[in-house]
Amino acid sequence: MFTRVSAAAGALLLLVIPCGSASSGPADGTVLQAAQPAPAALALTLPNRADSLKFAVLGDFGTASREQYELAAVMKRVHDAFPYELVILVGDNLYGSERPQDFKKKFEIPYKPLLDAGVKFYASLGNHDAREQRYYKLFNMDGKLYYTFKGSKQSVRFYALESTYMDPDQIVWFEKELRGSDSDWKIPYFHHPPYSSGDRHGSDARLREVLEPLFIKFNVSVVFTGHDHFYERTKPQKDIVYFVVGSGGKLRKGNIDKSSGITAAGNDTDYAFLAAEVNGDEMWFNAVSRQAKVIDSGSITRRK
Amino acid sequence: MGPRLTCCARLVLPVAAAVLFAAGPRAQTAPAAPAGGKPAAKAPAPASQPVNANARALAEVRSRIATYAGLHRELEATLPPLPKGATAEQIDKHQRALALKLQEARRGAKAGDIFTPAARSVIRRLLDVVLRGPDGPALRASIRDENAGSLSIAVNARYPGSVPLATMPTKVLEGLPKLPKELEYRFLGDRLLLVDVDPNLIVDFIDHAVRPQ
Repeated sequence: MFTRVSAAAGALLLLVIPCGSASSGPADGTVLQAAQPAPAALALTLPNRADSLKFAVLGDFGTASREQYELAAVMKRVHDAFPYELVILVGDNLYGSERPQDFKKKFEIPYKPLLDAGVKFYASLGNHDAREQRYYKLFNMDGKLYYTFKGSKQSVRFYALESTYMDPDQIVWFEKELRGSDSDWKIPYFHHPPYSSGDRHGSDARLREVLEPLFIKFNVSVVFTGHDHFYERTKPQKDIVYFVVGSGGKLRKGNIDKSSGITAAGNDTDYAFLAAEVNGDEMWFNAVSRQAKVIDSGSITRRK
Repeated sequence: MGPRLTCCARLVLPVAAAVLFAAGPRAQTAPAAPAGGKPAAKAPAPASQPVNANARALAEVRSRIATYAGLHRELEATLPPLPKGATAEQIDKHQRALALKLQEARRGAKAGDIFTPAARSVIRRLLDVVLRGPDGPALRASIRDENAGSLSIAVNARYPGSVPLATMPTKVLEGLPKLPKELEYRFLGDRLLLVDVDPNLIVDFIDHAVRPQ
């Protein structure tokens, strides 16, 4: 069975979260200054089913910039309405120096509300990430450069790969793990995109050559990546949908090459992350921008 | 079941073998079949088996790498173990302590301590075969992606902070001597670096490892 993608599926429940619902005002009843612009209403189009596996995807974020923090605040607003339990990180988790204070200002502080809410982050490493991040407790890598874990609900298994150093041992491991899994959804995520319309980086053809045959063989339906600093969802490539979510803290405006022919949806004008849920054979997704707008939505039926 | 060779390995390994065994000054040749077409009887192995000079150079590199990895493990064992779920402070402290111990133990280390002159020449040729092959342009593009270029580096110094890591394509890694888990290869400009992953130290490097197209 082929992967079926429905963009902006109309039958879904529209969740409209009114302005300011996520953050309450000061407890002492102080009135905030009216000059503050009100945050935009958030209109998610996810089913938000009670028993679905809900997760988010974030990449290329660790800058400590104002934009990273603003998007992190939107992530919390989305979480308040759509309580995703985990975030998969597609790499470039910390740009620049990686001293303890950097872990704080580039990760722990902006995502504190999510961490406090019990959301777990599962990192993969990008080309800006030091390898010792794999020991960092809040990245849940268990000391491994590549690893796999099962979702707590539904039949979903995630595979975090290390795409800057795709050595033969990793490929052998990945194939063994795919073969041994009986999960309906096998979801790999890593930094470098096998398919991307990025003018700066674009598709990593060598990585594609190595991984795509495994994706096809083991019925992978969807792959999450980053590296290019924008949001893109590709048209199915050999029945597999590739997402580039490299817009969590850096943005390369105007970088999507519209002539690539592979773009189903894209946004290179604002920072964004992805919220998704799996229920049975369907995965729904909403890409949400820093302006709290749903910039892409739809559903994917898994390959069988 | 043993590990299955990928398509890349099937392509690269014979090429690497050709570099190793055809270009060596004492390359062995298979005994010719007799005129009658019957296979030649297996010749008895000589008492002292000739060793290809290129293979010997790489064997020496492997041995030095193993010695280095042993030193790494020995020194790391003297430190409090880093938990798999560590804080940023614990990671930083451990990384710096291990780097210091290795730097002290290898005081005076210099380029060529691992990659001997003979091995440098072989590795440059191995890379050249891969990078001039049919996939050469795409492989070079992968390596160049966010490659920081020619920076000043030194053996036993830390990999320059804030410099992104260039991609190491599978096909390139398949052509190089396999490393223990403590070490990785990285390109920086046209140099091939041997990097100790956790302390982020440059163990050795080869200049001009990537030759111009």
